[in-house]
Amino acid sequence: ARKMAEIAGDETPPLPSSSGAEESSLLSSPPSPTAISGDEPPPRTRKPGTKRLVLTASVLLSFLVGLPLLLKSTEIHRSPLPSDAIADLSRRLQSHPPSFPCGLHAVFLRSGPGSPVASLADQLERAISTQHHLLPASSTAGNISVSVTIQSGGGCTSSTAAASPWRCGLLTAADSVRDDEVFDELLHSALGGRDGDGMKVYTIVIAEDDDGKGTRVVIGKHRHAWVVGKVDEAEALSLIGNVFIKYFMNGGIEEGETGIGKGEFMPVGSDGNVVLSFSLLNADPNDWVYDWEFKNIGERILTPVVEALRPVADINIESQVLYHTPKSSYSYSDDKLGGNVLSMGDIPFFVNSNEWHLDTSISATGRSKVLQFVVYIPSARECPLYLQLPDGELSKTNAFISPMWGGVVIWNPPGCSVGSKKAHGTRRQMSSQELMETLEIFIGQLRQLFGLKPNYHAQGMDVATKFLVSEKGFAQWELDLLYRHHACSNLLSCVATLESLSSLVQSLPRMIVMDEIGRQVELSLEAASLAQRNATLGIGDSSAVSATRARALAEDAFFHPSIMSISYASVEHYFAIYME
Amino acid sequence: ARALMMPPSTARRLCFLSLLLLLLLLAAAASATADAAAAEEFTEELLLRPLPDRKALAHFHFRSSAPPASAAGRHHHLFPKAISQLVQKFHISELELSFTQGRWNYEQWGGYDPMSTNNAKPPGVELWAIFDLPLAEIDATWKNLTHTLSGLFCASINFLESSTAFSAPRWGFKLNEGNLRYGALPREAVCTENLTPWLKLLPCRDKAGIASLLYRPSVYKGYYHSQKLKLKSSQSLGIILDQTLTVVLQPNTVSGKQLHSTGGQLQPSWSMEHLFSKKLSGKCLVSKSSRVFVEIEKGIVDNVDKAGSDVSSNNDLFVLSTAPDRSLKELDNLEVQSSSLYEYDVNNYNSDKPLNVGITWKLPLIWSCTRAPYHASRFLMGSGNERGSIAMSFLSTGLDKQLVDSSNDCSIKAVVFQVVPWYVKVYYHSLEVFIDGNSKAISEVVDKIHVTPSEDKLLPGTMEMLLKFPCSMQLATLTLDFDKGFLHIDEYPPDANQGFDIPSALVSFPEFNSSRSYPEADPLFVSPLLENFKEDGVVKSYTEVLLVPLTTPDFSMPYNVITFTCTVLALYFGSLLNALRRRIGEEERGLKKLLLGNCNLHCFSLNLKC
Repeated sequence: ARKMAEIAGDETPPLPSSSGAEESSLLSSPPSPTAISGDEPPPRTRKPGTKRLVLTASVLLSFLVGLPLLLKSTEIHRSPLPSDAIADLSRRLQSHPPSFPCGLHAVFLRSGPGSPVASLADQLERAISTQHHLLPASSTAGNISVSVTIQSGGGCTSSTAAASPWRCGLLTAADSVRDDEVFDELLHSALGGRDGDGMKVYTIVIAEDDDGKGTRVVIGKHRHAWVVGKVDEAEALSLIGNVFIKYFMNGGIEEGETGIGKGEFMPVGSDGNVVLSFSLLNADPNDWVYDWEFKNIGERILTPVVEALRPVADINIESQVLYHTPKSSYSYSDDKLGGNVLSMGDIPFFVNSNEWHLDTSISATGRSKVLQFVVYIPSARECPLYLQLPDGELSKTNAFISPMWGGVVIWNPPGCSVGSKKAHGTRRQMSSQELMETLEIFIGQLRQLFGLKPNYHAQGMDVATKFLVSEKGFAQWELDLLYRHHACSNLLSCVATLESLSSLVQSLPRMIVMDEIGRQVELSLEAASLAQRNATLGIGDSSAVSATRARALAEDAFFHPSIMSISYASVEHYFAIYME
Repeated sequence: ARALMMPPSTARRLCFLSLLLLLLLLAAAASATADAAAAEEFTEELLLRPLPDRKALAHFHFRSSAPPASAAGRHHHLFPKAISQLVQKFHISELELSFTQGRWNYEQWGGYDPMSTNNAKPPGVELWAIFDLPLAEIDATWKNLTHTLSGLFCASINFLESSTAFSAPRWGFKLNEGNLRYGALPREAVCTENLTPWLKLLPCRDKAGIASLLYRPSVYKGYYHSQKLKLKSSQSLGIILDQTLTVVLQPNTVSGKQLHSTGGQLQPSWSMEHLFSKKLSGKCLVSKSSRVFVEIEKGIVDNVDKAGSDVSSNNDLFVLSTAPDRSLKELDNLEVQSSSLYEYDVNNYNSDKPLNVGITWKLPLIWSCTRAPYHASRFLMGSGNERGSIAMSFLSTGLDKQLVDSSNDCSIKAVVFQVVPWYVKVYYHSLEVFIDGNSKAISEVVDKIHVTPSEDKLLPGTMEMLLKFPCSMQLATLTLDFDKGFLHIDEYPPDANQGFDIPSALVSFPEFNSSRSYPEADPLFVSPLLENFKEDGVVKSYTEVLLVPLTTPDFSMPYNVITFTCTVLALYFGSLLNALRRRIGEEERGLKKLLLGNCNLHCFSLNLKC
């Protein structure tokens, strides 16, 4: 436009024509055009021709015609990402975080004869329901449906809401004097005998039994607990609420403690794979060399654990024996404790990454996670080696964990004491008993790494509480808790990944988005909504599986190699290149 | 890290465990017999040998073996987990990876013994693997394998991923069914960052045992350094991993300190300490056997025989500093004694009594080693950046005269295998053969030839050729012409002006076998090192790496192009604007006016002055 103005300006000289009379005396004033117009022909006899206009227009036109071609040739393939669906999912998750409805079923086993009154059950049900405001906000549990069954000599009465699986009369209060393990299984069969799909129902049985031994609470391997003893109604109600909320819903984690649902990361790779790598470290083989029979014993003990955790993570187990692997922290000899002592402050330096070539596994490809579990056999010079807790006590397990890395157990070989002789290079086998004990510690560490308590102290319970230990390492109700939290955290992480991907793609208009990324995002969204649907039905394990899948797909899309490989130029740069 | 507090197991749990234990003990007892027969094993061995040119050869050999088991790749005691997983994942039935610095001197260090045949490798990295997979999957697996090895050994083996970098020889390298892939990187620099991961595969690393002799400054000061990893895996044998390190060192003795003044001695007397600056203080405790051998070559043995003394560890010519635990006679494939071996069992030595084997010469001695029938070398001909030719020469070493009767129709076979990158475009039809200077028809000399021509940016050129030379021949030369191709500007390596390396060609002589046998050895005496020597070993030698200078572009070219186009565009737009905007006629008039005006003013001022 400016150029046109200049051209126009040339054609009509703007100088005043008749003001030169007085100023003509000024030397600097330009000569007036009128002064010479007399002797020259006028600059233009007719209006400018169209030739020039046509020329200008054709150049402009050719540019305009070329522009779409240029844009076409520099077009970038961008698969459309369903950003609306992502935003929608994120909104849904924020307003309604996934909550798993579950049921609480209280069973009162009365020893007296006669049929119980139906209204009593309803009354108890209402009483229990009022307690649930105690449930902390962080819990993943949603609606809790309460039902009550009362069984006495004459039969059973259930509260109205109950579609109880309780098999009336199969079990009586008298059975509770039996062995706890046996009663646990009996109870399990009385409750239908299966871990079941669909909504999870937790059962708390109050067995009235006046044997004078006082009240005690036992929490079983499945989804039930029972209270034995003479308890009045109010006490029973408070016990039911306590056990249900504290353990079944929160895994015994107190406020202020770290643990599941308290911001701890799950030690699971973003593709849902975990490799548990077990290493036996002989610090100095010149003193003694230990080997283990991990293949048989380890696999046997760990297989149930692996199976139990399958909805959360796909676990592979590996083992190796390493030699010449000294620790890198300092331990001092303590005569009073009869050994070498390693204080808590030295633990961060214990793992010697220079000499412990624990190796990541080839089977742990991509984004899967390796958890190292290390058995450290001290050399003769530092044997026996103990871990000292800050309060001066020795650690009972002689083990510690490092979150997201794994765990270490210091295993003092039998017969090692201060000044013990070198058993020069003898090769020995770690006995099966010792190996199994070590593996138990590892299972405890694994529980802790997953955010559960390694074991329970009946803290905060005013009655004696006992926990039955499952051979799976995790009780059914603990697994439910794990599945719920895993599904939640994976869903949130999946949505966060998808959101960042979507905003990244939007912020870089020149970024190539492959079709495969779009497909992965769609599949991820599908899996996420499936996980949500399962969550609302209270199916924890399949929800966890879907959530894992959703997260893995989201991460796959985000870390797709094509995203990494391209350098994105800014729009200015792009214009600069193509103007060239 | 947090401490973990855990009370001892509950009584009930213990009860359960003890039950389990009982079951397990029963199971263990049943499986113990099977386990004892096939357990993972590790052996370490070292062979030392004086060389005719005042140097010494040290050959480390470590073997780890894993029995075939369902748990392979998951549970291991001695065998490196990483290797086992590699074998499982990529279905490898055989693999060899070597890192070499320096060139094996076939003239001086031998060309007709198991050492040169199996352990002399071309400079840089050489990798070949045989896969137990359908043919269609092999290329993809190879690519993944190169990346894995690259990570495992801290080397740029991943450059072998590109299809221009590897080939699939059928018979020239090793007879196979199309499941072998071969690749070489001649310019890969080899140093301790490759040795450390290699040592990590040994159970004791370099903390104890024979590997503790690997003192980096002395090992890398050597003339030749080749570190190799060889894998064999099968359903029946499990996995056998052979790790060898072959070094040629100059003994760092006081008298032999100056390289060229011999101090009156032809050969320096040396011991382990002179070679590695260390003594051997005991074995790796988990090794099944740990041995050191000193090998005295045929040339010396013959001399000792001539001097009339017995070939023992202390004779008229030399004395070994430590008395050996055993001595062995080595026979070559013609059942002629070739060399003597003295064995030391490292089990008998410890840090209080370290092993320091050495050799002291009593008399100055000159000997030579046995050589391959032909000395093969390869060189470039021609000049300029456009074309050239590759020549290969086979110079007779006179060995055939001793071995075969020189009847008229006798001939010696040689197999040549050579891979040439695509940018060296070899014209295979231009193959010419000269025997003793006279041009020969190709059909007279070439028995069999298999060529895979190169494809631009897709495939390297591979040539496998079976040659038949007359026995009386002294020198044969083969030439092949080539054109030099052009690379894209971003395909050039950082130092493009240095030239491009063409990997070594491999020449093998299928009629000559370098295997050894040990008739006096105890049948219970098992040494993987000597087992490898016993294996069928066709005499092989690698030729030199060729350095081809290619036309390198002016790397500032893109900027020149940018400047050039900018100028053209500026000119175009400038003249277009000019054409649109300027009116020549008016300008001329304006100029006139201006001139006139100036004149007027001038006149006016003149008038004023007047």
